Amino acid sequence: MTVFLASVGFGLVTASVLAIAAVGFTLQFAVTDVLNLAYGAVMIAGAFLAYVLNSHGVNIWIGLVVAVAACAAGSVLLNACVYAPFQRRGAAPITMVIVSLGMTLIIEFGVQAAAGGTSVSYRMSQGPSVTADGFTLTAVQFVVIGLSLLVMAGTYTLLRYTRLGKAMRATAANRMLARNCGIRTGRVITATWAISGGLCGLAGVVFAMDAGSFDATSTDLFLVLILAATFLGGPGQAYGAMLGAVIIGLATEVSAAYITPSYKYVIAFVALLVMLGVRPTGLLGKAAG
Amino acid sequence: MNSYYLINLLIYAAVDAMACLGLSQQFGVAGVTNFGFIIFQAAGGYTAAILALPADSANGAFQSYLGGWNLPFPIPWIGAAVVGGLIALPFTFLVGRRLRGDFAAVGLLVTAVLLNLLATNYRPLLNGDAGLSLIPQPLAGEYNPQSAGYQWALTAVAVAACAAVYLLVRRITESPYGRSLRAMRDNDTVADSLGKNLLSLRTTMLVVGGAIAGLSGGILISYITTWSPAAWGYAETVVLFAAVIIGGAGNHRGAILGAILVPVGFEEVTRYIPTSNSLPPNLIPSLQWVAIGLLIVSFLWVRPQGILPERKRVIRAEPLRPAATPAPAAPDSTGQAEAATASAVPRPAAPPPGEAVSPAGTLGSVSTAAAAVGGVRSADVPGTGQQAPGDREVVLQAVDVVREFGGVRAVAGVSLSVRRGTLTGLIGPNGAGKSTLLAMLAGTLPVSAGQIRYQGKDVTGLPAYRRARLGLIRTFQLASEFKKLTVMENLLSAVPRNCGDSLRGALAGPRYWRGDEEAAAARAAALLERFGLEAHASSYAGDLSGGQRRMVEIMRALMAEPLVLLLDEPMAGVHPALARKIGGELVALAAGGLTVLMVEHELAIMDEFCDPVVAMAEGAVLAQGTMSELRRRSDVVEAYLVG
Repeated sequence: MTVFLASVGFGLVTASVLAIAAVGFTLQFAVTDVLNLAYGAVMIAGAFLAYVLNSHGVNIWIGLVVAVAACAAGSVLLNACVYAPFQRRGAAPITMVIVSLGMTLIIEFGVQAAAGGTSVSYRMSQGPSVTADGFTLTAVQFVVIGLSLLVMAGTYTLLRYTRLGKAMRATAANRMLARNCGIRTGRVITATWAISGGLCGLAGVVFAMDAGSFDATSTDLFLVLILAATFLGGPGQAYGAMLGAVIIGLATEVSAAYITPSYKYVIAFVALLVMLGVRPTGLLGKAAG
Repeated sequence: MNSYYLINLLIYAAVDAMACLGLSQQFGVAGVTNFGFIIFQAAGGYTAAILALPADSANGAFQSYLGGWNLPFPIPWIGAAVVGGLIALPFTFLVGRRLRGDFAAVGLLVTAVLLNLLATNYRPLLNGDAGLSLIPQPLAGEYNPQSAGYQWALTAVAVAACAAVYLLVRRITESPYGRSLRAMRDNDTVADSLGKNLLSLRTTMLVVGGAIAGLSGGILISYITTWSPAAWGYAETVVLFAAVIIGGAGNHRGAILGAILVPVGFEEVTRYIPTSNSLPPNLIPSLQWVAIGLLIVSFLWVRPQGILPERKRVIRAEPLRPAATPAPAAPDSTGQAEAATASAVPRPAAPPPGEAVSPAGTLGSVSTAAAAVGGVRSADVPGTGQQAPGDREVVLQAVDVVREFGGVRAVAGVSLSVRRGTLTGLIGPNGAGKSTLLAMLAGTLPVSAGQIRYQGKDVTGLPAYRRARLGLIRTFQLASEFKKLTVMENLLSAVPRNCGDSLRGALAGPRYWRGDEEAAAARAAALLERFGLEAHASSYAGDLSGGQRRMVEIMRALMAEPLVLLLDEPMAGVHPALARKIGGELVALAAGGLTVLMVEHELAIMDEFCDPVVAMAEGAVLAQGTMSELRRRSDVVEAYLVG
């Protein structure tokens, strides 16, 4: 029971980090139509930016804010300089994925070239921890969960009540039609890159906090979790990604308590392949026609 | 130059070139984006290793692994190729018709990441992170693997294996089967509608490419004698992709060039970078990866076709001519294109095909070729031309067919019968559900409810390619030519029962399929001449004008030997004079037994050629009759005006 509760605690934190990342990823895909595999690389770039500031004595929470802003700006740039030109030229979706894989190498190993191949960690206090029968969470973990809930609520508000959110949904559903209805889809797409990029930076820093120590290639496997959560919920479905993140986060950590931790990704992997093979529209999507 | 250095270079070049050829076949030719390609090379490496290694208790049991059979050369290499091919089978569910190509690619990428993780962490199977080492080299008992002669022999075998793989993939690619693969790459939905079994084509490509990758892995470990997870990270696949993209996707020589430039070249260049202790330890390898990423992105932008682009396949053919056979004496009812129509369209009055003796010899008699254009399978239907349309046999039928898109009923319970030898029109305002109905009849879209009957049989559950093989052929509303195939190749891609259009036929070689190919090319040339596009036979279909592309599509559908032809706005964007010519051809073909169901907005076309005409609105059939009857129906007129 104790082991189980402890793993649920870990699972909640992983799910929170994953939810932030997956919502950003799925929004990006829905609105911009780019299956951006470089998402994990941008995450780790944000985490390292916060690390650089942190190692120069800046508080990590300030580092987090800077990373969010930088990843938002970086993602907008990434789109403007790379993805958008390819899309304007009518590149096929598969070409976009190959381009994003190329960008993954550039960003991820660019970070590695700059930072060296060693693992690093933030200098920060974990704060007081709360324990109840094996279920232990530190103050920082509570903050991570809180941030994640905030992001979920914010996403809901954005999509449901704001003009921008409605425009994003319209653009996701049918870009051409949205444009013909007077929505400035170009601006909506740029805004989406900024928002999803910010979420990506946030996810990167909280991922690094949660992981304890990290290096430039740490998000390779985390991207598998993001993809699993996204496809579980249905690609492009923000609420689906939240659901997928909770399921995948809890499943990986709880299973890790009972099997060797290095195999915990297997569950996410199996979930992803089953969804791809059986129901590519996701749990919340329509059955494949 | 040090000969060991040269040996090393040549073996790596051969192994990388083999891998790139396998990937070029999958990705460049067939459009199967296998981001997990490295898994197959890894599987080949491990298989060869555990087949060649003695039991793991040898050498003091410092490594543990499955197998250890100590088998003699060449069994490890054969095993590597076989296992490389077989492990493709579990992935087939990812590459079927239903899953988007980019999603399937992501699935394969994730599989590569995860399998590497498992191999790294699970020691009993393949010695985990440390990997396998001390793998016996081929024939190590008989010869001294350290000698220069042995190393050169191994190099020669590796290069020969690479050459053999090149010949193999070239033979596959240059065959009619290779054309089907390229057609699938350019537009898989359309290839499906022309009778290509996408799942089978893609599975075969995964297996063939996997076997090639497996063999390359087997040869590699015979040389380096170790194999560990670090050698096959997911990013190694990206290097191979970079090589194929830079060399030229779809050009096998380009794949070899890419292999020499990227994986081999990078390894060699970094050899000459002076090592310095002042540099961070990971800097050079990291920058190597950055450079590969930059190469991919910049090549896709600047020169997406690669250094050696896919070359154009020019197929020359003499059109079939009715030289020795007198043209059938039946009067030409359409009054146009007399000689050509008469020669290529079977009439009720035409002599039975078997009796016409033609000098064309192996190409088949003119009459059969002509009948093939108009639907050879309808030749045994007697005298459809004399019956009134309403009395003829129903060949295609929709029964209470429904199609919903997320709650919207695009087609809400349509029943429709199409009779043999008629030219049935389908009209209605935008959004009436005409194209959706057509797609359901052809099998491109599954029905939400209802039944499709074809030739008296329920075909509701049959996939599009199986319906196409039964002679139910459709065209598409949007341009659907295979862009990187020439016009001639577009036409040939649709020909059914070409004996070179299977892996076995392709492997049997050109001598086996040349007869079928030449007969089909002659038929295609005749068709091109009739539609006046013979000058464009060797142009890429993607370079034609909109109207010309529609003609290519119609001709391609005719090459598929249809019994029933479903045309979705065939005249859209076509010059009016040409549209009338197409209409005339269709009428002539219908007289020969072909059945046509045609969606068209141009009512003048309907007036002139179609009887009966079905009017649809808001997902339902409104009325049916001749065009002049429909004009008198106020609800039809209103639907058009309101819609």
